[in-house]
Amino acid sequence: MDEKLKNGLIGIVGAENYSEDLIDMVSYSYDASQHSARPLCVVWPQDAEQVSRLMVFANETHVPVIPRGAGTGLSGMAVPIKGGIVLDLSHMNKILMISIEDRLAIVEPGVVYANLEKGLAAYGFFFPPDPASGKVSTLGGNVATNAGGVKGAKYGTTRDYVLALQVVLPDGRVMRTGSRAMKSVSGYDLTRLFVGSEGTLGVVTEITLKINPRPTATSTASATFGNLEDAGRAVSQIMYSGIIPSVLEILGKETILAINKNTDLNLPEVEAMLLAETDGYTKGETEYQMAKVTEVFARNNALEIKQAKSDEEAINLWKARKSAYAVLARIKTHFVLEDVTVPMGKVADLLKGIEAISRKHDIQIATFGHAGDGNLHPQILYDGYNPEDVKKMEAASADLFALAISLHGTLTGEHGIGLSKAPFMTLEHDPAAMNVMRSLKRMFDPNNILNPGKMALDDAEASFSEAGIKS
Amino acid sequence: MEAKYDFEKKYREQILQCSRCGFCQSVCPVYGATLRPALNARGKMLLLKEVMDGKIELGKELIDSLFQCTTCASCANNCPSGVNVPEIIKQVRKDMVNIGSCHPAFAGMNEVLQKATNIYAEDELPDFDRKRDQKAAYVYFIGCVGAYREDEATEGALDLLDRLSVDYTLISEVCCSGVLEDVGYSLNPKLASQNLERIFATGAKTVITGCPYCYRTFTQRQEYDELRKRGITVLHISQFLKDLDFGVTTDKKVTYHDPCDLGRHCGIYEEPRATIRKIAPDFVEMQHHHADSLCCGAGGGVRGAYAKNSLAMARRRLKEAEDTGAEILLTECNSCVHNLANAKLRKQNIKIYNTTAFINELMHRKAKDK
Repeated sequence: MDEKLKNGLIGIVGAENYSEDLIDMVSYSYDASQHSARPLCVVWPQDAEQVSRLMVFANETHVPVIPRGAGTGLSGMAVPIKGGIVLDLSHMNKILMISIEDRLAIVEPGVVYANLEKGLAAYGFFFPPDPASGKVSTLGGNVATNAGGVKGAKYGTTRDYVLALQVVLPDGRVMRTGSRAMKSVSGYDLTRLFVGSEGTLGVVTEITLKINPRPTATSTASATFGNLEDAGRAVSQIMYSGIIPSVLEILGKETILAINKNTDLNLPEVEAMLLAETDGYTKGETEYQMAKVTEVFARNNALEIKQAKSDEEAINLWKARKSAYAVLARIKTHFVLEDVTVPMGKVADLLKGIEAISRKHDIQIATFGHAGDGNLHPQILYDGYNPEDVKKMEAASADLFALAISLHGTLTGEHGIGLSKAPFMTLEHDPAAMNVMRSLKRMFDPNNILNPGKMALDDAEASFSEAGIKS
Repeated sequence: MEAKYDFEKKYREQILQCSRCGFCQSVCPVYGATLRPALNARGKMLLLKEVMDGKIELGKELIDSLFQCTTCASCANNCPSGVNVPEIIKQVRKDMVNIGSCHPAFAGMNEVLQKATNIYAEDELPDFDRKRDQKAAYVYFIGCVGAYREDEATEGALDLLDRLSVDYTLISEVCCSGVLEDVGYSLNPKLASQNLERIFATGAKTVITGCPYCYRTFTQRQEYDELRKRGITVLHISQFLKDLDFGVTTDKKVTYHDPCDLGRHCGIYEEPRATIRKIAPDFVEMQHHHADSLCCGAGGGVRGAYAKNSLAMARRRLKEAEDTGAEILLTECNSCVHNLANAKLRKQNIKIYNTTAFINELMHRKAKDK
C-alpha cells in the first residue's frame, strides 16, 4: 500500500474509518454475483463533506473509487475490477426527514430499505419498490441500481420515486438535483440520469424520495396452467381487464420441480403457475379486482384456481414463490440469476425460448419472476469449478440476452449491467447511444476514476475474461 | 485435491452454497454493532471459500473475523441457502487452534479449563449459605457466571426455590465446559465426569440448570449421555417454573430478552413467557423476539476477546428494550444479565433481572408487606 495514499485517506476519514486488513479486502471483493476482484483499501466516510474531499484526493491521484451500499447487487456493480478504494457508505445511515404533508422522505444513502419502511409504517406510508433484498440493501444502492421488485407492474421502480439528489461529482463538487416539489420540468432531468448510473457518474450522498400511503387490504390467488401459451395469454389479457394487480408472479416448470424436490410443498407439476395479488383500501375493492384476474385465469384454461380466504392462506400461496430463490440456490455450487425483461405480451415467448436455450446447451435453467411487468428471472445453475459448465453458462447467457433483445426487450429489468452484462451492451444499444453514454461518462469523470470497468463505458470491447468471471 | 482442513472436509458444500445474498447482514449482531461486512456470516463464508480456493491462507490475519462471532445463529436462522454458519465457525476455530492461529483470549479460556474447575479460575465455589451434595429430588446446577459473577441473581433463584419448598441440593459443581466447543477446543471429559458423579450421588431424578448453556450441554453433548441413560431429566429453570403459581404480580411494564442458547439453540421460547405473563400483566415484546431475538453480544467467546464490540451489541439490545417503554427487562441467562448490566449507562433507568430473581423480589416484598 502506497503510504502517501493511505495517509491522505486517513487524513480525511480518520484511522478508525480506514482499513486495508485482509478480512475487509476479501469481503469487499464480492457482491452477490460471481465476480470478484481485490480493492486496495476501504474507507467509511461519515458525511458528504468527507466524500467530497475523498473524491478531490482520488481525482488528483487517479485512484479508482468504488461506491458501495450493502453489496447485494447481482451483476458485479460494486466489485472493484480495477482495484482502488471502496467507498462503503453504510455509516451514512440517517433518515433525515419524513414529511407526510409534502409526501416525501429525505435519507442518507446508507439507510437500509427496511429501516425506511419501518419509519414510514408509523405514518401508514410506504416506499413501494420493495426489492427482494430490502432487508439488507441500502437506499443509496437502490438509487444507483434503480432497484425494482415484485410490485413493479403497478408501482414502478426506484426511478419513479426519486425527487431530488445530492451528488458528489468525481472532481469533488457537490451538486443538488431536482426539488422537493412533486413535479418539476426545470432544466435537464439530472436526477434521473443518476438513478441507475451504477456509481459511474457521481456518489449519491442524500436522497429525497416520494412516498405513498400504504394500501391496507389485499387479495391473493394462484392458478396453474398446462401450457405456457395459456399462462402467457393470461398475463397479457389481465392488462385488458381494466385493473393492474399489485403483484403478478410466474413460476416455470423447472422451478416447480425443484421446489417439490427440496420442500414438502407438493405443488402440482404443471407447465406454469401464476400468483396474483390485488391491493386497495377495502376488501370489496381488492376482491372486485381479483374477480377480474381469476376470470382471466379461467378463460385461459387454468387447471386449478385457488383464492386465499385468510391471511394465513395467502401466506401459504406465496410460500412457493418465496422459496424459489433459496431452493434454486442450493442445487449447484454456482448460479447466475438473470433479469431479462420483455413487453408483457411476449412473456410466453420468452419462457418458451428459455426452455429451448436450456435444451440447446444442456444446462439447467429454472425460471420465475415478475410476469406483471415482463421481468423474468431465469436462474442458470452450474458448477463453477467445472470449466465445461462455465462455458455452457456463458453461451446460454449470451443466447438469453439475444432472445430478449429480439423480443423488443432489454438485457436487464432491475439488476443492472455492471460487469456481467457489459459485453452485451452493444446488443441493445446502437453505436450512437453507446457513444452518447461514453461521452457523458467522460464529461462527468474525465479521469475515469469512478467505478471504472462497468457498463462497457471505458472500453469498446469488454469481454467475459476482462469482466473477471472467476469461480 | 485433498482437503487440508476439517472445516473443508465437513462443510465444503455448505460454504459454497452461500449465495452471497447478504441477508445475514440484517440480523448479525456483530455487523449491527460495527457495520463491518467482513464480520458478518457472508464475510466469514467468503474467507473460507478463498481458503478452499487456495487464494488466501488460514492464519492469524483471519482471526478478527472468524473469532468474532457470538454463535448466536441468527444468520443460520435467516439464511435462504441453508448454511449452518455457527457449526462451520466452531469447526474452523478448531482448525485454527490446530495450526496455532488462535485468539489469545480463547486459548486462555482453554488453559483455564484444563487446570481450574471454572471459567474464571476462581479457587473457591461459593455455597450461597446452603449445603451441597445432599440427597434430594432435584439438583440445582448454577453454572459459572451465576456462581462467580452474578451472585445476586443466583441468590434470588435459590431463595425462590426455597420459598416454593423445592427439595433440591447444590453440588460441588465444575464448569460443564461446553463453551470450549465454541471457542476452538473440546469439552473437557474430566470435568463432565466430575459433574455426572456428583449428580448421581444425590439420587436426584431431575437436574435444573440456571444457565441455558449448561442446559444445552447436558441435553445435547454425548459426554453427558449418561444422564439420559439413567433416566435423569434435565430442565432449564424456566421449564421448571412454568406451571407454578407465585401469587404475585407487578404493575410495571416488563419485556423479555430471549437468550440465544435457550431460544434459537434449544427452541425454548414459550415457557419463560408463560411465567412472565402470570406475574406481569403489562408484558411487551421488543422489536426482535423469539427466533428473531437480537444477541446480547456475550456468547461464543466474544465478550472475553472483543469486549468493546460485545458491549456495543449489548447496548443495541438495551436500546430495543428501552424503546418498548418497559421498566423491567427480564431474561433467563446469567451471561446475558451480566453483559446487559455492564452495558447499562447510569442514566438508563431500566432494571435487568433473571426472571427467577425478579419473582423472588416480588415474593419477598409481598411477605414483608404482610
